[in-house]
Amino acid sequence: MKPRVAFFDFTCCEGCQLQMANFGEALLDILNLVDVVTFREVMSERSEDYDIAIIEGSITTDHDVERVKKIREKAKVVIAYGSCATIGGINGMKNKFDLEEIKKYVYKDGAKHFSTIPTRAVHQVIKVDYFINNCPVYPPEVIKVLKAALQGIPYEVPDYAVCVECKLNENICMYDKGITCLGPVTKAGCNSWCINNGNICYGCRGMVSNPAKNGQMDILQKYKIPLDWVVNKVDMYNKPRELEEEKPKK
Amino acid sequence: MRYLLLKKANFDDFISSLAQIEKVVAPVSRGYNSFSFAEVKSGKEITLKYIPTVLPPKKYFMPQREKLTEFNKAENSVEAILEYEKMVIFGVHTCDLAGIQCLNIVFSDKPKDINYLVRKNKLVIIGLECNDYCDQYASCKVVDNHLPNGGYDLFFTELDDSFIVHVNTGLGEEIVEKTRLFIPNDQEHLNKLEAIRARKREIFKEEVNVKHKDLVTLFNDKAFESKVWEDLDKRCVACGNCTAVCPTCYCFDILDNINLDLNTGDRTRRWDSCQTEPFAKVAGGENFRKTRGMRQRHRYFRKFRYPAERYSRYFCTGCGRCTRTCMAKISLKETVNALAAEQKYKK
Ligand code: SF4
Ligand code: SF4
Ligand code: SF4
Ligand code: SF4
Repeated sequence: MKPRVAFFDFTCCEGCQLQMANFGEALLDILNLVDVVTFREVMSERSEDYDIAIIEGSITTDHDVERVKKIREKAKVVIAYGSCATIGGINGMKNKFDLEEIKKYVYKDGAKHFSTIPTRAVHQVIKVDYFINNCPVYPPEVIKVLKAALQGIPYEVPDYAVCVECKLNENICMYDKGITCLGPVTKAGCNSWCINNGNICYGCRGMVSNPAKNGQMDILQKYKIPLDWVVNKVDMYNKPRELEEEKPKK
Repeated sequence: MRYLLLKKANFDDFISSLAQIEKVVAPVSRGYNSFSFAEVKSGKEITLKYIPTVLPPKKYFMPQREKLTEFNKAENSVEAILEYEKMVIFGVHTCDLAGIQCLNIVFSDKPKDINYLVRKNKLVIIGLECNDYCDQYASCKVVDNHLPNGGYDLFFTELDDSFIVHVNTGLGEEIVEKTRLFIPNDQEHLNKLEAIRARKREIFKEEVNVKHKDLVTLFNDKAFESKVWEDLDKRCVACGNCTAVCPTCYCFDILDNINLDLNTGDRTRRWDSCQTEPFAKVAGGENFRKTRGMRQRHRYFRKFRYPAERYSRYFCTGCGRCTRTCMAKISLKETVNALAAEQKYKK
């Protein structure tokens, strides 16, 4: 029997799910290997019986916490899908503010109807088996992870800088163009997607496990880049990294 | 073998006629004073006065990704794959010629790397002399690579209105015959060539405070504990740029990829870098070179000591790429000078 796959979305823009539709022929090959039983964006049927849960979005309310825990109980394999799910993503920006204040700012008089908790990545609430980083997800990596999951072997997100891939693509470094880029602190795996297309790295894949603090500060000084400017850039996707200690062991 | 002349007025025709016979790659401007080897169809696309390209020509000798085998699980079969492409590489500076020679030595060592050796034989190399320093990062003189030292099929040196061309191999002769644009030179041209070389011997000075022959002894056992590596530890961000751009860094990783049928797949090798966190990590999580300083130290010893002991040759070509590319501005010349100062070395 083919493994049954269900997609779930939490706080996110659902753009990563939409990426699936851009897979072209590979999508047909994937559909040969699995049965998609729940996928709100493309089908109306849904099933509570699944093997692989692909979770998009970050966890931002108590209700989310309960719901994602239930998914973990049912699923044999949980895949965090996209930046919001794997690192908290841009929803994490609210963690910079007092939650009550920011709620009032967003919902005005309606604020009392909403509950809110600090934004968390999925693995900060439940155990996650596979991580598909990136905003939006990078199709070749999605396929790699799905193949690993279907074979029951681990997938390691590269723990080195985007620069490694960027240089292999022989891009002119943004620093040589006088532009700051988060490549040196961001995990590779996207084949330096943004830089190949003329953009900087925004850090959407999360930070490498051992970023060089001293070295980075040194570089900022050399290029006369203000620290808070870079911290803001990093926080755009990576604010929930500060909650990392709280993540569940099991 | 022999010298010939190519008029500059015929250079464009030379490249376009060559491009009709064979794929030609040459240095092309990418803006921001950056260049890369890329396919060209005419001489106009080429920048003759260029500083070392972002990636050296090693990308043609050992591609970033190279398929080694294809397998089929159900049939329990494995097939060796040899991927190569015939091509002429035009405009290789003497430092990069030395880089290719280094790779040739390593991949011919036991066990021989058949994929590399077969591919290398499909590549025709046309060298191009630097009549002057490319920029302040170069250190080709101290490693003796500022003058041609073989490793090419043809070698171009720019004179006033022509190139004097050294034809070094049968493959070089073939190009001469096929393109029919080369003419005999006079003694006058050889004199001009000699004048250029004489001038170069004046301009090119050992770029560091260490003599050529003493570089290897500078990287002694005591240097292993040097403060210099502590300084680099604080500054390096482990981006891996310096190894990617180095003409003599050849480390690779091998990965198995399975296709979506979950049955067929391939084994592929791709460039790796000793500067990254996971490079020296082994099963169980032990990491043999935990710190960025240890990894930088390894890179330098890997250029100036280990190959000098094993192959009697420095594996730094002096191209200056590692310094040029480093966003932390870690400089090869400064590192060597700092070591020399620490050891109170006198030239
Ligand atoms: S452009 Fe960005 S990712 Fe690329 S090498 Fe430079 S800093 Fe690294
Ligand atoms: S290029 Fe510079 S910062 Fe990057 S790994 Fe090399 S020495 Fe370190
Ligand atoms: S160590 Fe630096 S200067 Fe030496 S060959 Fe490598 S990139 Fe060029
Ligand atoms: S390092 Fe020397 S040989 Fe290489 S490009 Fe510069 S001047 Fe030419």
